[in-house]
Amino acid sequence: MYAGHFAAALAIKAKEPRAPSWALLAGVGFLDVLFGTFVMLGIEKVTMTPHVGHGFTLDLIDWSHSFVMSLVWAALFSVPFWRRGSAVAFAVAFAVFSHFLLDVPMHPPDMALWPHSTVHLGLGLWNRLPTGWWWVELAVIAVFCAYYLVRARTLKTFGGRALWACAVVLALHLFNSPWLSPGK
Amino acid sequence: MSSFGFGLFCLLGFTLPVPLLAWLDRERRRKD
Repeated sequence: MYAGHFAAALAIKAKEPRAPSWALLAGVGFLDVLFGTFVMLGIEKVTMTPHVGHGFTLDLIDWSHSFVMSLVWAALFSVPFWRRGSAVAFAVAFAVFSHFLLDVPMHPPDMALWPHSTVHLGLGLWNRLPTGWWWVELAVIAVFCAYYLVRARTLKTFGGRALWACAVVLALHLFNSPWLSPGK
Repeated sequence: MSSFGFGLFCLLGFTLPVPLLAWLDRERRRKD
C-alpha cells in the first residue's frame, strides 16, 4: 500500500486534530522510510522481478515491517509528542503502526511477527488480485478521505485545502497504479 | 531498477509528499 497510508494520516488527523499533520503524515510512512534506508544499507533485502507479479519480492523486511518492530518504531516515533498529551502521542504512534495494519492485507506472507520469526503475516492481495488490489486501496482511500473531508468541514480547525489534499493522495494512487508505476 | 534504487524510491516516495500534504491541511485563516 502506498497512497492509502497518506489517506490514513488524514483520517487520523480528522480524529485527533491536535496532532501535528506533518508528524502523522511522516509517521504513516516511517516504516517504509526505514525499509528504504535498510535496503540501501544492506540490512534488509528486496529482489527486483521486472514484469513478474508486483515487480519485486521482499525477502527480508523484519527490522522495518515485523509486528513487534512496528510497535517499537511506533513507540519511539511518538516519544517527542508525549509532552503534547497522551491523546496526541497515541495518535502519532497509531499513525506509525497503521502502516503495518494496512500492509497486512496487501503483502504476501512476508511480514514476520518479530525479526527472524518463522511466522509471517500477509493476505497477499498484491498477488491474488494483480490489478484488483489497486481498486481495493482506492476504496480504502475513499473511506478515509470522506471521513477527513466531513470532519474538516465540521470542525474548521484543519483541512484548509482538504479537497486538494485528497486530490494529491488520489494523484499519488494513480501514479502507483499497475499501469503507470515506475516500479514495474 | 536496482534494489538500492528501489530503497531510495521508497524513501523518497514517503517523504516528498509530506510537506505538500501538511501545507494543504493547514487551517485557512480568515481576514475578517
